[in-house]
Amino acid sequence: MLGTYFYHEIIRKTIIGFGTLFNNIYIRHLNKDGSIADETKVGLSYGPTQKFLAKIQQQADLSKPIAITLPRMSFEMVALQYDPSRKTSVTQTFKACDSEGNIKKVYMPVPYNITFELSIYSKLNDDALQIVEQILPFFQPSFNLTIDLLDSIGEKKDIPIVMDSIDMQDDYEGDFNTRRALIYTLRFTAKTYMFGPIADSTDGLIRKVQTDLYADTNTQTAKREMRYTVVPDPIDAEPGDDFGFTELWEDFTDSKEYSPTQQTDI
Amino acid sequence: MALNPFFLQGSSNEQYLVQDLINEQLKIYGIDVYYIPRKFIRTDDILREVETSKFDDNFIIEAYLDNYEGYAPGSDLMTKFGLRLKNEINLVISRERFEEFISPLMNGRQVGIDDGNITDYEVELTNRPKEGDLIYFPLGQRLFEIKRVEHEKPFYQLGKNYVYELQCELYEYENEDIDTSIEEIDRTVEDEGYITSLTLGGIGVTATATASIDTGIVSQIILNDDGAFYSSTPIVTIAASPTGNPSDNATAVAITTSVGGVRSVDSIRLTFGGRGYDISNPPLVTITGGNGTGAAATAVVADNGVNQFTITNAGENYFVEPVVTVVGVASTAAIARATFNPITGTVTGIQIVNSGFGYTEAPTVQISSGSTVSVGGTYVYGETVTGSLSGTTAEVRYYNLRTDLNVINPPGELRVAVNSGQFSAGEAIIGSASSATYILKSYDNDNYQESYDTYDNNEEFETEADQILDFTETNPFGEY
Repeated sequence: MLGTYFYHEIIRKTIIGFGTLFNNIYIRHLNKDGSIADETKVGLSYGPTQKFLAKIQQQADLSKPIAITLPRMSFEMVALQYDPSRKTSVTQTFKACDSEGNIKKVYMPVPYNITFELSIYSKLNDDALQIVEQILPFFQPSFNLTIDLLDSIGEKKDIPIVMDSIDMQDDYEGDFNTRRALIYTLRFTAKTYMFGPIADSTDGLIRKVQTDLYADTNTQTAKREMRYTVVPDPIDAEPGDDFGFTELWEDFTDSKEYSPTQQTDI
Repeated sequence: MALNPFFLQGSSNEQYLVQDLINEQLKIYGIDVYYIPRKFIRTDDILREVETSKFDDNFIIEAYLDNYEGYAPGSDLMTKFGLRLKNEINLVISRERFEEFISPLMNGRQVGIDDGNITDYEVELTNRPKEGDLIYFPLGQRLFEIKRVEHEKPFYQLGKNYVYELQCELYEYENEDIDTSIEEIDRTVEDEGYITSLTLGGIGVTATATASIDTGIVSQIILNDDGAFYSSTPIVTIAASPTGNPSDNATAVAITTSVGGVRSVDSIRLTFGGRGYDISNPPLVTITGGNGTGAAATAVVADNGVNQFTITNAGENYFVEPVVTVVGVASTAAIARATFNPITGTVTGIQIVNSGFGYTEAPTVQISSGSTVSVGGTYVYGETVTGSLSGTTAEVRYYNLRTDLNVINPPGELRVAVNSGQFSAGEAIIGSASSATYILKSYDNDNYQESYDTYDNNEEFETEADQILDFTETNPFGEY
């Protein structure tokens, strides 16, 4: 019943948009005199991966000399939920042009919330605090991303990324055979939209707008006296072109009216 | 109830004998490992953490490997942070050997600190092996961190303990300085951590250019109003030359600047001064486009000034703007600025700020050399390199001359770690030990992705996001 193939990569794009917010965060360590000892860009990755790929990429040398490099950040999508608060009419459509100028008909998008968990794994509390402090001020509690969700028709949507909660885990207690694990988990909701299939529209482009003006509101008796007509300039301009308009004002004293069916004055 | 005084529970001689036997057994059945003490560079007393450490000492000591069945099974874990190894080993070392061999040397460091001769780090607990120190395990070529030191196992045989058991787990690396002078140890982190790449220029070639003079040229464009709110560089148009020949029309470009987020026109430079213009009736200058408003300028016409520079050799290794000097006899000397491509390192053009006037013959053009330092040498692994302008320091992890790219003048590929900041193109990168010096052509501050651990996807996110994200203003989290 559903059956029409389409795939706009909307969730993937939302993942990319979310990820790029956190891909340029640095931490610093200082020398005893306060000068910078080292500056590290915090590695970020989408957590879920194929196990064999992780093994061959991250342990190409089987005798890997260390346990892991830190600090690291990882995020993953943990939930998808319909958002009724942003619901629009299910039958409403809008039209847009694709890159070739064809008119497309698209149903209004369906609002969905995607929940993300961003995890920060560090060796030192100070590292984690440096990272977290570089993130938090930008979420009040949301930060808007403008994402080209449907690139075929250039449909950009503002996607608020809302910070929901911050949890931290610092397992410093216990025996000395267990390492301290310092993980901050920031939970976000991305308020994105799901689009259905993009259909060809049978409607043509509006290339001419004509408005008749009357001296009386009683259109049974009144006749049009002025006409305002607008056409694009040049007349064969496409929606993507940088075109202007040609306006025309006409006065009439012939007591005629425009017939939409015959498309002439009678 | 006191012990029977007619029996000894362990005389000194018996204890020495046991210790000697243990030492001998360790030397026969043990393996050599390297004990690498942690030096505390900076400690946070509030959060109670050693923020910065370095490991630059090493002590070889025999140890019994108490893992006859190897590492515990299932010690490589798939986590949300990628692969994490949990290999553990237990090592038994002689208490006497540690106290007589390692402790005195570490005590020497402590004395140096107490005397004020060592000021850049602290050491703690020099009389015993301590948690947080590293063990280099040569059989597996791995770095382990001591998690716990067991000192009472076996439990007071003949009234004394003779060994330390070091319970170790693979080290979690965070760009610490590991510079033990044992290359095998130092190279364990060769491909680990945050590694950035520098492309270094070879020997510079000085660019050359010629100048031509003419009469009735547009000698300069005076900016009367710098305008505001430009989102791109506006187009400058100069009215056509009265000669009617299109090839005589002067051309110019706008140079914009941003102050407080507002982009305006900073200056206008001529790319061609034209010819045949009327000195008493300068051409009209119009500034259009760029989505801004308000910029306005007027032209000045002069005779016998430089109306064009022609690059005859684009040179090599220009990563900062070279200085252009116009040498010739004139009433007023010409002033020019060079444009260059920091990626290719070549001079791309010379623009006229003021053409000067009164030249009787075409002046000569001098372009400063791409690099004022003599370049050469070979960087060595582990040495510190310093950027001559930025002052940024880093440790060399890899260096190679890319003869596959240019046989005659090959660029250098340098990978470094433990950076103290960012390097900037155009500065000299100087090796502390090798004195190798080259000019930095470009700097990639993304983690080098062909190292063994390719966890990071920072760059991939940025590349993909550039296609779909619309940061009309700026990305507050920073852009590459």
